[in-house]
This record gives sequence, C-alpha cells and structure tokens, in this order.
Amino acid sequence: MKHPLLENRTRLLIWWLAWLILGAGQSLLIHFVYGSRLEVAIADGLVSMIIFGLLGLAIWFPVRFLLKDDNQLYVNIFNVLLTGTFTLTIWLVGSRFITRLMVSEKVDYDIFWHSVLVFRATAGILIFFMLLLIYYLFLSATRLAEKAARQSQLETQVREGELKMLRSQINPHFLFNSLNSVSSLTVTNPLKAREMIVKLSDFMRYSLSSRNEQPVTLGTEMESLRLYLQIEKVRFGERLMIEEEISPDCLPALMPGMLLQPLYENAVKHGVYESTGEVIIKTTARKEDELVKITVTNNVDTDSVVTRKGAGIGLRNVSSRLELFFGDRADLTVNRKDDSFTVELKFPFRKS
Amino acid sequence: MKKIRTLIIEDEAPARELIRFMLSDHPDIEVVGECGDGFCGAREIKEKRPDLIFLDIQMPKLTGFELLEVIDEKPEVIFTTAFDQYAIRAFELNAVDYLLKPFSKDRFDDALGKALNRLGKEEPDHERIEKLVTTASEAEGYLTRIVFRKGAGIKIIPLNSVSYLAAEDDYVMIYYNEGKALKPKTMKYYEEHLPPSLFIRVHRSYIVNVEQISRLEPYSKDNYVAILKSGEKIPVSRAGYKILREKLSF
Repeated sequence: MKHPLLENRTRLLIWWLAWLILGAGQSLLIHFVYGSRLEVAIADGLVSMIIFGLLGLAIWFPVRFLLKDDNQLYVNIFNVLLTGTFTLTIWLVGSRFITRLMVSEKVDYDIFWHSVLVFRATAGILIFFMLLLIYYLFLSATRLAEKAARQSQLETQVREGELKMLRSQINPHFLFNSLNSVSSLTVTNPLKAREMIVKLSDFMRYSLSSRNEQPVTLGTEMESLRLYLQIEKVRFGERLMIEEEISPDCLPALMPGMLLQPLYENAVKHGVYESTGEVIIKTTARKEDELVKITVTNNVDTDSVVTRKGAGIGLRNVSSRLELFFGDRADLTVNRKDDSFTVELKFPFRKS
Repeated sequence: MKKIRTLIIEDEAPARELIRFMLSDHPDIEVVGECGDGFCGAREIKEKRPDLIFLDIQMPKLTGFELLEVIDEKPEVIFTTAFDQYAIRAFELNAVDYLLKPFSKDRFDDALGKALNRLGKEEPDHERIEKLVTTASEAEGYLTRIVFRKGAGIKIIPLNSVSYLAAEDDYVMIYYNEGKALKPKTMKYYEEHLPPSLFIRVHRSYIVNVEQISRLEPYSKDNYVAILKSGEKIPVSRAGYKILREKLSF
C-alpha cells in the first residue's frame, strides 16, 4: 500500500493548505491573545505547523506497519504511545530550536515558550490522535476494499473452475466417435442405432442436469454411467468388458452427479485406447461403517509404452468435487500397478 | 479395369463397417483387408501393397502418424478422425484428405474421388505425406515415444529409455538402452519435438536425455564432456553447458 498523501498531488496540496491555515490560526492566537510581536507569532506558527506537517506525513509508516488488527491490544497501545512520544518530542524540540534561531529577542521567546508549553503540548497530542484516526480509517477502508476485490476474484476463480469441470465432463471426441458409430449402425443395425441415440440422449440429459450440483443417489449415477459405458461398448465391442459388484445397501447414498464419469473416461482412454486386447472396467461399491467405498479398476496393456499423461486433471477434478461436497471426510486414492489402474473413492454415507 | 486395392485401418468395428458400406457402391474399389490396430496395418500394407488406405489416427500400439513413419510403401492415404481443430488445420495445409467423424456419404465420395484422381494420374506424392506427418505431429505436441522399423517388425521406444541422439550426416542416430536406430529426420526436428524438460541439445551434433547424465567433467578450457550412466561420453559445447546449468540449476 502506498502512502495516501505522497502518491497523490491534490491530497498533498490540501494537506499543506490545512497546515498553513492551522499555522496562521496559531500565529493569530499568539499575536492577539498573548500579545507577541507579529513576526514572532508568524515564525512560531509557521515553523511548528510545517514541522508537524512533515512529522504527520511520517506517522503513516508506523500506522501502516505497527498497528495491526491481529496484534495484542497492549502491543498496539504501546506502539501508539511510542510513536506519539517520538512525534511530540521532535515537534516540540525542533520547532523551539528553529523558531529561536529566527527571532531576535531570544529571552522573551523563552519566557513565552515556557508559559504556553502545556497548552501547546496538549494541542499537539490532540492533533496527533486526529492524524492517527484519519490514517487508521483510510487504512481500514483500503484493506476492506482489497479484501472485497480478493473475494470477488476468488469467486470468479471458483466459477471458472466449475465451468472447466463441466467442460471436462463430456469429451467432444466421445460425442463425435459415438455419432460415427450411430452412423454406421443405421446401415448395419437400424434398431440398435435408435437404441444408441436414446442412450446418448439420456446420458447427455443426465450430464446437463448434473450442472446444477443437486446431489443424486449412487443408484441414479450408476444408471446413467452404465449408459456411457454401453455407448463406448458399441464402439469397442469385445475390447471393452464391463463388470459391476455393487452392494444394494449403498445405492441410496447421496453424491454429486457425474462424479464417476471422469474415472470411466480415463479407463477408456488409458485402458481401451492403448490396448488391442480385452480391457475390463470393473466397478465395485460397498458400505463400510457409514462410509461408501467405490473402486473403478481397469487392466492396462503391459506392452503399452506410453506413459500415462494428462490423467491428472480429471482425477483432480473428482477429488476437488468430493471435497466440496463432503469436506475432509472424503478421500480419493489411486493405485497404479503394472497391469492395472484403480481409483478408490471413499465418502460418508448420507441418505436424502 | 484394374481395381483399386484398398485397406481399412481403424480400431472401432462400427467405423470399419461404415467405410466398407460407403465403399460398396464403388465397383472399382476392392477392399483387401481390415485392421483394428497400427501393427496389423503396417503388416498388411507390406503384404498386400494396397493402393489406398483409410487410416484412423487414434489407435492402440501405433498411431496413424507413426504407422506412416515406419512403412516404405506409400499408398494414397485418407485419414479418418474425430480429432480437434489443430490437427485439422495441419491437414488443410496439405493435399492429403481427411474425413472428420461423423462424415456424410457426399463428403466420403468426394474424398475418395480425389484420391482416385491422384492414383490415376501420378505416383503418390511422398513428400506431401511426409510433410503431413510432420505438421500433424506438430499439432499433437511433444513426442511421447520413438517408432522405427527393426527387421521385419516395428520397435517402439519410450522416451525414458533413449539416452542420446547424435547427428549422422542427414540422419539422426538414436541411442537407446537396447541399441541404436537411424531416423531420416533432422536434429532441429528432434530438438523441437522432444520434451525440453527431458532432452537438451548440448552440442551441435548431440541431444541428450538429462536423466541419463551421471556427471559433467571439464574437457578443455571452454568445453565439457557429459558422462552418461552407461559410461558413454558426450561432448558439451559452451552454449550447451549454459543450457544444462539453467535446466538442471546447478
């Protein structure tokens, strides 16, 4: 944060104008009430206010760096008192020394100085606290604005993150390749083509409805993702086998929709795409002490020399959605072996 | 009239059936085979010497691009793909045709017509296909493996078992854990297409896998020599040494 006065010419001008007026006021007061000679009064008023003006600019730094909301109260009080003592001492000593150089009757001035010292010091303390207050208000306002800006930036990021998540859910290649299969089936097996169109539509509908982040049951999720796997099976035939071991007692468990889709997409991409042999995608789900445990496993072609790349993002998304939905009681673990790849999800069992 | 011998290389059965169906009303085409992966494709091309191939890009074992790299025969190629915009741009720069899945019969006939036209007129333009493979693989990002022919078979080497590459006239010799292989490519190509986090051009004539370096020793005043885990020594130029320092931050 920059200095609120030094960074802005207009503010700085107003600042010095205010001190000039204060200085003039002080001069008039001294001249008319105390009865000093005009030039002594002017010298005294101007010098003391210019010095206070300079010190006032400097006070910003201790306010900015020493006064903190998370400090202990006594630390802040100590800092304020220390800064105040310093400021006041320099002000009093400095303005007396300089004014004394300027006036001719130094003894008269000394007498005058001592007689108004208490009044002068009190005024100084008041001005000091006033400046402190102004700076403090400015600081709070700026910090608040910064906080609000950060907040809105965070919100944008979260929204963007959500969008990205949605985008990653349906891979356009999946759609185009499936449509190509449909195109083929219209020739070889029109009945199956119609079935596939219906499956594709049902799946797309489910995927779109999952955008509102309404929780679904594991049963619904599995029904829809079965469609996804069946569509892929039409493309890959015998190369893709689907196995399931889902215990009925975890079907009512609530979870975010489309949570498992990236796991299947990965299994197809890294299992089936890279293998000429049979790839089994096996899903298990069971309930263990109020926790739902789901695993998705695919076997991997051991000859495949492509190191898995890009698998991270999909899994990270699943993991962050789990965390958003269940907090820290959910967990995702990846188990990578030479011939298989398993992702295990654990989350608390909740029913609607 | 001599029939056009055609091979379909495509890993999804419905997609193969669709191409077969769309070819069925072209009596001048004879489908000589179908393959579900790149290895089979390379073998069948060698055996059956087709005039025309339909080639999928995303396939297990060997991609369509890699397949073209390892065959000597250069049949006319029509790519089939559900690939994204980048690759399509690469195709558009070249005359070789592609079918974007799903495709219409008209589009299919059009691509086929063009291919037949070229087959009738001239020898297939090798340079064009070569260029296509280069531009298209550029669109794919960094290489993940290196493919070459070994005897009658095809060898696929993962990048982590490649120790270094050395310039040999107009070719590049690739040294990997089990031997070496000559590729008709330039050092510049590999410098640009190997992942820079793993491979560094340490010398005009050498690119080295940084994970294979066991130590660096001064050689002369300005030159260094990298000693690999296998014990081989690779010269490192002053510029190469600078890049190594930066990348490995020592």
